[in-house]
This record gives sequence, structure tokens and C-alpha cells, in this order.
Amino acid sequence: MKRTLPKEEIKHLGNLSGISLTDEETKTYQKQLSETLDYMENINELPTANTPPTSNVSNLENVFFHDGGENKRGLTQNEALSNTKQKKDGKFLVKRIL
Amino acid sequence: MSIFGKSIVELIRLVQEKEISRKELFDYFKRRITKYNPNLNAFLTLAEYQEDTNHGELLGIPLAIKDNFCTKGIRTTASSKVLDNFIPPYESTVTQKLLNQGASILGKTNMDAWAHGNSTETSDYGPTKNPWNTDRSPGGSSGGSAAAISAYLSPAAIGSETAGSIRQPASWCGTVGIKPTYGRVSRYGVIAMGSSLDSPGPLTLTVEDAAFLLKVLAGNDPYDATSSDIPVQDYPSIMTQKKKFTIGFSDEYFDGVNEEIKAKIMEALDVFRRLGHKTKKIKLIPPKYAISVYTILQRAEVSSNLARYDGIRFGNDRRSFGEEAKRRLMFGAYTLSYGYYDAYYKKAQKVRTLIVEDFKRVFSEVDVIVAPTCPITALKLGEFKKYPFFGEIMDVLNEPGAVAGLPAINIPVGLDSVNLPIGLQIMGNYFDEGSILNLAHQFEKETEFFGIIKKGLEKYKDE
Repeated sequence: MKRTLPKEEIKHLGNLSGISLTDEETKTYQKQLSETLDYMENINELPTANTPPTSNVSNLENVFFHDGGENKRGLTQNEALSNTKQKKDGKFLVKRIL
Repeated sequence: MSIFGKSIVELIRLVQEKEISRKELFDYFKRRITKYNPNLNAFLTLAEYQEDTNHGELLGIPLAIKDNFCTKGIRTTASSKVLDNFIPPYESTVTQKLLNQGASILGKTNMDAWAHGNSTETSDYGPTKNPWNTDRSPGGSSGGSAAAISAYLSPAAIGSETAGSIRQPASWCGTVGIKPTYGRVSRYGVIAMGSSLDSPGPLTLTVEDAAFLLKVLAGNDPYDATSSDIPVQDYPSIMTQKKKFTIGFSDEYFDGVNEEIKAKIMEALDVFRRLGHKTKKIKLIPPKYAISVYTILQRAEVSSNLARYDGIRFGNDRRSFGEEAKRRLMFGAYTLSYGYYDAYYKKAQKVRTLIVEDFKRVFSEVDVIVAPTCPITALKLGEFKKYPFFGEIMDVLNEPGAVAGLPAINIPVGLDSVNLPIGLQIMGNYFDEGSILNLAHQFEKETEFFGIIKKGLEKYKDE
């Protein structure tokens, strides 16, 4: 099944992904994403009516961090802020949202 | 005394016998990097020597680390301008384990940006060149790591694989590289790509080094809930046991493979038979289906994993994403969208089950599976654009095993007519890295990889 994703859909996917696209990029991705989708159709050749999905091959279930286990992952406030460009009073500075 | 070309196990002996100090060893590789890296572009960031009181098993052995492992205090970019100025405030489990054993970090190696690709050409810092022929790609995404050891800018390197990113560059640069079982090595502190697939592992000049490093890296990590608590095998000792295997090979994995590569794999199968192993033809689901499963699942996981880069807490904002990352983000967003989720994402997860079951069935008949690692040898830089999915086809033979989460090792088995290395992969059953290392080691002892690794190093000899 050959199809071309409409331009609006590409723009929508750009929005969902938090990226802005030029007109030229939209055109390029429209072609490329449509081609990729066409290739992906081959999985429909394999019947899976009675097959459960696999999300993770490790087959582990309900893995918890042990109570009382030593957790060295925490960062200090200074460490957490060490890579930000904008901070104020020991906090991340972001644009006003209200 | 000559250091050149020595494996890490040999270097450790030299340090133990005080033939050389840790600092001298570090400086030796640093000098080589200064000399060769401007041309090869294998390293993005060089680390400073750290005097270390940890003596552990690695005794100051310098290692190259792919730039998607967070290294505390050492810039980590994943080859993307989004993280151009990112200095991790914490250490990944993999690098922490190496440091605990006394390893020295030489520097961070170039890769495809976010590990998206198999040529290092999507790096925002320019491609790495293949030391065998600098007009060619080293493969990827761990291309910088593979190039670094094949030119002996580092005696061994750490890479990571989602599907092919260790095996394929190891194959194109003529080195050993092992992708462990998913969950064998912790992903904590590795910049995430496909979280249900990502597997860190070593690239080395010998199978013994791979066994040695894997033993250091493997094991359960409370900070990675998908890491396994199955006991770690003693790889270096299993590697040397006398074992005979039933080796499976499947016609489906020779479809579309270059004739010279096919011939070398067949010759390698003869070597295995000569060593007393049985070979058996098996039937596997054609790898082309794994491309679809992998592409759908990996892009979906990418679109979720890359959502965190907002430029607020660290790094630059989303305008810095390159072309390939954008393509993957959007494709992932599409297959996860309402109305398409069942047709693509869920369907791919179901086919993933079929692939897992297919391998399980085959591993009840054979101990390991042998196949080419890649359908062609190293492409010229720039040639990737000609191929659909920008290189996904290059990893066609790596994707089924990756989707199933199986371990596999690449070893060099020959050169093609233009003197480029050809790689063979041995895939093993879950958590049976011991068997694939054992068989790879038997092959290495028998053939010395036909002198390929030595030949690769020749051009980069000390004066």
C-alpha cells in the first residue's frame, strides 16, 4: 500500500516532538517517513492473532528498589544545577507560564 | 620495551611486573591520540590523568569510552550539540565499575549522534574515519570506539549496542566486539536510545580481553531495574575450556550478502568443523522482518527518551537536534499515536514475540548460531545516503538478535579484495556469553584471525 503522509500530519508530528520544521524539511520528511512506513508493512505478512506482545525480553516483573538499600544516586542541589544556563536562588529559572 | 599492539591482559602484566607505570601507559596512548586523532576523529574529548589508589584488576589500563556513557566531570555529548556543554554530575555504572577496578579513562569517543546510525556520519562533530582506509566509514554507532582500538589509540574501548552498534563497527574496523545479553550489563548512566534494547559492551583486540572486560562490567545493578540477577559466568576461565558445539547457520542470513563475505564465512565454518564442532543448517524468520520490528520499536522508544531534552536543566534546547534525531522522533510519535498504535507499535511487539520464540526453538537444536555480521564491508563516507533507512539495511543481520535480546560477538575472519575486514558473528543463547567467547577464542587460537588485527595496526606503528 503506497501512501504519502499529508503535510499537515508531518507538521503535527513535529509539534508532538517539540521541534519546528522548515517547509523544506517538512517536504523531505514527508517523503522519507512515507517510504519507511511502506517498508514496515511487511510485518503484516506474519500472523499474530494469538501472539502476545513483548515489551521487554528480560521477563522480569515488579522490580523494586530494596527498602534500606544504599542509594547513592541523589544529587545535591548544586550538582543538580551545575549544568543549567539559568538559575536563581538555587532553583531552575524557566519562562512564566501563567 | 614496546607497548604497541599489546592486549590489555598483556599490559596488565607489564604494570604488575613494574615494567611500566600507569602514568607512562596513559601518556603513551595520549601521545598516539595527539598524533593520529586529528585525522581519524575517533575521540571527541580527552581526559586528564588521574592518580588513583584503586588498584583493582585493571591497574591503570587506559580505556576509550563511547560518548554516551555519563562520566562524572568529563564532558559527555552523545555526539549531539544538544549536549555540547554537558558535564555529568554522576558516573554511569559501567564506567564506575571500570574505575573501581583501577582503569584510567583516556577520553570519550565519537559516535552517531544519540547512537542514531551506523556510520558516525550523524555525529554533530564530524565523522570518524576508518583506520583501514580513511575514505571509509568505521561503521557505527560505536565507530569512534572501534577506530580507536584498530589504530591502537587505546588498547580497548567501551561501546554500546541497540542493534549492531558494537558488532558492525567491530566488523568494519577488524576488531573483536561483544554485545552482551540485554540486562547483563547495566544501562544506568548510559544516554538512553532504545531502552528495551540498549546493551553496553567492550570492543577489543583479543577475545581474552573481551572476556576479561565483560566480567568486570556484567552483573545486577539496583539502579537499572532491567539488569539481571542471574549469576555472572567466569568468562576468562570458561573461554579456555575444551568445548564442542553444535553450530547453526541459516540461509536467510546469507540473502543479499556480498559474495566475498559469504565465501569467508563458509571458510570459517570449515575451520569450526576442523576443530571438531558440528554444523547444522537451521531455519530462522527472515531478518527483513526484524528491520521493521526494530525500526518501529526503537523509534518509539527514541521519541520517548529524547523528550527529556528541554534545555532547562542541562544542555541546549530542542533546536539543536540534528536531521536523523528529528526523523526518528517524528516516526516514533507517529507509530505511538492514537489510531496507529495497534497497527504499528503493538503489531511490532507481537512480531517481536515471534522472533524471540523462533530463536528459542532454534537454541533447543543448536548451541550457537553463526552468520555474517554485515552484508557488505566498510562503505565510503557519504555513501550511506544511497541506502534506504540511512543504513538500517547494514544492520539487517544484527537486528533479529538485538530484538530478541541475545548476546553476540563479532570476530574478524578475512579481508575482501580491497583489503577491508570481514566480520563473522556468533550469536548465543540468553546469558550464555561463555559459549560464544569460548568458540570465538578457539577460532582465534587456531587462526590468529589470519593476521588481520596485526595488519590493521601496521600503518599506525610507533617510529
